[in-house]
Amino acid sequence: MTSRPISYAVLRGQVIETDLIEFGGRGGDITFLAPDPHKIGDRIPLASPRLMEDLYELSFEDILDYLAELGERLHLKDNAYLQEALEYSYATAPTTKPIMDGFFHDMPFMFDKERIRGMVDFNIGIDYLESWVEKAINGSKVGIRAYGARTLHIVAGNGPVLGALTVLRGAVTRGDTIIKVPSNDPFTTGAIARTMVDMAPDHPVTKHLAVAYWRGGDEALESRIYQPHNIEKICAWGGFASVKHVTKYIQPGIELISLDPKRSAGIVGGEALETPEMMEETANRIACDFATGNQTACSAARMIYVMCGTDEEGIEKLKTLGQLTYDAMLRLPQVLTTKPKRYNPELKSQVDMLRLSDDFYTVVGGEDDEGAVIVSHTSDRVDFWEYLADRTVNLIPVDTLDEVLDVIDAYTQTVGVFPESLREVVRHKGALFGGQRFVSLGYAFNGPGLVGPQDGIEPMRRLVKWIISEEPLPGRKPFWECADEEIALVA
Amino acid sequence: MATTVEPGPRAAATDNAIEREAERWMNNPYEHFGYHNTRIHSLPRDEVEAVQITAMNLRLEERRSQIKMLEKFAVAQGISRVDRLDEFAPLLMPHDVYKSYPVSLLAKQKFDQLNTWLSRLTRYDPTGVDVSECDSIDSWLTKLRDETPLDVATSSGSSGTCSFFPKSKQDYRFSMMSLRTQLAQKFGQDPRPGDVDDKIHAVIPLYRDGHASTGAFAKYAGEIFAKGDPDYWHTCFNFKISSDLMWLAARLRAAAAKGDTSKVDVPPSLLARRAEWEQAQKDMPAQQLAFVNQMIEKLQGQRVFVMSMSNLLYAVAKRGLDEGMSGVFAPDSVFMGGGGAKGVPLPDDLEEVICKFFNTDRMIASYGMTEMNSMSVLCDHDQYHVLPWVTVFLLDLESGQPLPRHGVQSGRAAFFDMTQDSTWGGIVTGDFVTIDWDTPCGCGRTSVALQKKINRVSEVQGGDDKITCAATPGAQAEAMEFLTGLEG
Repeated sequence: MTSRPISYAVLRGQVIETDLIEFGGRGGDITFLAPDPHKIGDRIPLASPRLMEDLYELSFEDILDYLAELGERLHLKDNAYLQEALEYSYATAPTTKPIMDGFFHDMPFMFDKERIRGMVDFNIGIDYLESWVEKAINGSKVGIRAYGARTLHIVAGNGPVLGALTVLRGAVTRGDTIIKVPSNDPFTTGAIARTMVDMAPDHPVTKHLAVAYWRGGDEALESRIYQPHNIEKICAWGGFASVKHVTKYIQPGIELISLDPKRSAGIVGGEALETPEMMEETANRIACDFATGNQTACSAARMIYVMCGTDEEGIEKLKTLGQLTYDAMLRLPQVLTTKPKRYNPELKSQVDMLRLSDDFYTVVGGEDDEGAVIVSHTSDRVDFWEYLADRTVNLIPVDTLDEVLDVIDAYTQTVGVFPESLREVVRHKGALFGGQRFVSLGYAFNGPGLVGPQDGIEPMRRLVKWIISEEPLPGRKPFWECADEEIALVA
Repeated sequence: MATTVEPGPRAAATDNAIEREAERWMNNPYEHFGYHNTRIHSLPRDEVEAVQITAMNLRLEERRSQIKMLEKFAVAQGISRVDRLDEFAPLLMPHDVYKSYPVSLLAKQKFDQLNTWLSRLTRYDPTGVDVSECDSIDSWLTKLRDETPLDVATSSGSSGTCSFFPKSKQDYRFSMMSLRTQLAQKFGQDPRPGDVDDKIHAVIPLYRDGHASTGAFAKYAGEIFAKGDPDYWHTCFNFKISSDLMWLAARLRAAAAKGDTSKVDVPPSLLARRAEWEQAQKDMPAQQLAFVNQMIEKLQGQRVFVMSMSNLLYAVAKRGLDEGMSGVFAPDSVFMGGGGAKGVPLPDDLEEVICKFFNTDRMIASYGMTEMNSMSVLCDHDQYHVLPWVTVFLLDLESGQPLPRHGVQSGRAAFFDMTQDSTWGGIVTGDFVTIDWDTPCGCGRTSVALQKKINRVSEVQGGDDKITCAATPGAQAEAMEFLTGLEG
């Protein structure tokens, strides 16, 4: 046995651990072993769409039972695969041990039956997955049913929950799911899949999951797999980084579901700074939204616009808020946030430069690579705003709401709002400008979960094929009985 | 300092000698070395390093009292003197500092505040200049150029930010002198009198003037190559390229990549000039082609210095060869090509066609940047040789610490150019560079050499399959470049 980490391929109920070759290792990353993808390439896609049939011998409740049992087996303390994956993931993950421990500890909760049922019903409607939902319209009886698709998922690796979420989404939609794991999370999904194999190797849900690692852009392999006779959809997280290899394979017959890279922001009204108590609450809210998960997620806030005005008094208040926000960050529990694993040295040098530009900026913290709050003295975000990470947030003073809306664009996912009086106008105008999710500031990570729309689309509704069945209702006259003037060809 | 041992009289004499040598290198190295390219590139490395360390300490002492940002920086780093080159690395500033002003100052045309910002970065104080009447970047920078030793260099990046690098006129002259000295002479030979003193035709199919490098280059080439004689100074567009329009174009590109060109935060008066820029861009290639052809006719057989985009020279050469022409200029002419636009691959036979038509041994390439005076020229063995008054540092991408100065090393390039007149001169770049410290270059130069293949650090760090849902700069910059190409 080798002691080097293995990214197992798990193909349709079979764990592959032969023909291991080395991957990774660039830029100081650890190397890991994975089965030579070229040797298993033909087994990654489903041989024929006809083989989806077995998923229709299951009821939705059967699938829920399966997932619930899987959830039971994903308790970290009892699952050696997960323990091993966690151990290795400390090296590959962008976050730290306490945060990763938290993610792994919480994994079984994702498989709670009622939680899944609620999510699926809210998103797709369980009826549509179970049967033809029929309705009379325009003189016809129309039946609609959501069918599973053969989908390749290129998942992001900045949180280990995304593999689990993909397994779950694939199962409830009766999809055939291929997961190409990323090099920043090459172990977790394989561990879940191995647990499935131990639990029920011949179960259709197990049989319709293929997990493997290959280097994104491996043209010899990808040109074999990414064909309409193998897959119908590609669901790619991470936008350009993952999609750049994929776009050349997009053709009629393959649909791309692109979950683009996003960033998030917050908007704070002037009244939030009126009393010391309000100020304190605002600081806590900001800290929760930017520091959670060490700011690796797209939903983590990076810029907070504060309508305190740009006069001297406003800036002084903002500086106070900056200090309070920094203190609030340090108070947050370890499962939410810690000192970053590695503070980006380039970012550090930029933050340090701003510390010297004290005409225009106040920098709170950051000298110990622990994260920093940068307070702008003008209505400008820092020049390197796209690089804000590792618990570094920019507080920006503005005079009017319009200035804030101006910076919301199609790359903006979550917008935290406080106080609530701003919500109506912010969510309406913000949506027009491109914003996709509006939350109460402080609750970006403390909401219902990924229950529906995400990045302005509904991925789960996109993962299924919407099939329509039409029958004429009594009274619809056939064309062959129609007089010329009775015929109307309409779309 | 109190703790140092009092040096003996002999040591003091040596120190003084080396300090005097360092001062000559700092203040006018070309004159000091008699404009002798071969001598400049044949100095023993240990002697060079000794002068460099001395110059670093002299410059640090002098400049920290003149440049406020440097003073703060040196205090923050806790460094007031160095004994080894590596100790100097923390004093190199990230290049982004030259765009660290709040962009609203530019959009709102608060040039007095921008002057204050600039004043922290140069030893020439611009704050005394009355800029209350200035209504554009061009008018602001022209005023500074007229009334101070400064000639501020602008550049616009793909993010739409305009950087302002407070170069002085002296800096530009050194920069151009570094090209003339290295390009006009063959390594291994003494300079011929004409290499140094004669007027040489400068042929530049770009703008005659400007605050952006594409304009400033021609302006100072006119001084240093053509010695100010308009008959020797040839540019395609005989006017000044507008930094305002370049900034506008960059903002428009950045906004387009973000999906909303209506959100361009520039003064409305500038936005109104959009059509002017677009028209100029459209007509450019045809005019440049006509210009080069005109030069061929006019300057046949003469010694010329041509600085152009490679693909333009190629187009002219290809057509010339097809028409049975070749060898149009004097054989000691110099052709320096610039890289093609991204997404426009250069043809395989590029160098062959250009050399054949223009009767030259090879195309010259050089590595340099606005933030540095000294250009490094590619030798016959495909290495960029760094002038001895520039110290190169390779920094580890992860830690930012200097890599060893032996063996073959690759890292983020950083430089200290002791000839820098206006600014500090210590800069950390975004370039990923390889140096073989031990193997002498086959060309015979002893100077430190950068290998030909130079990447952006972001290219080296990006990719490798780390997928994240958060908009990382790498991913987005790449997407942006992909969408916008690299024009203008």
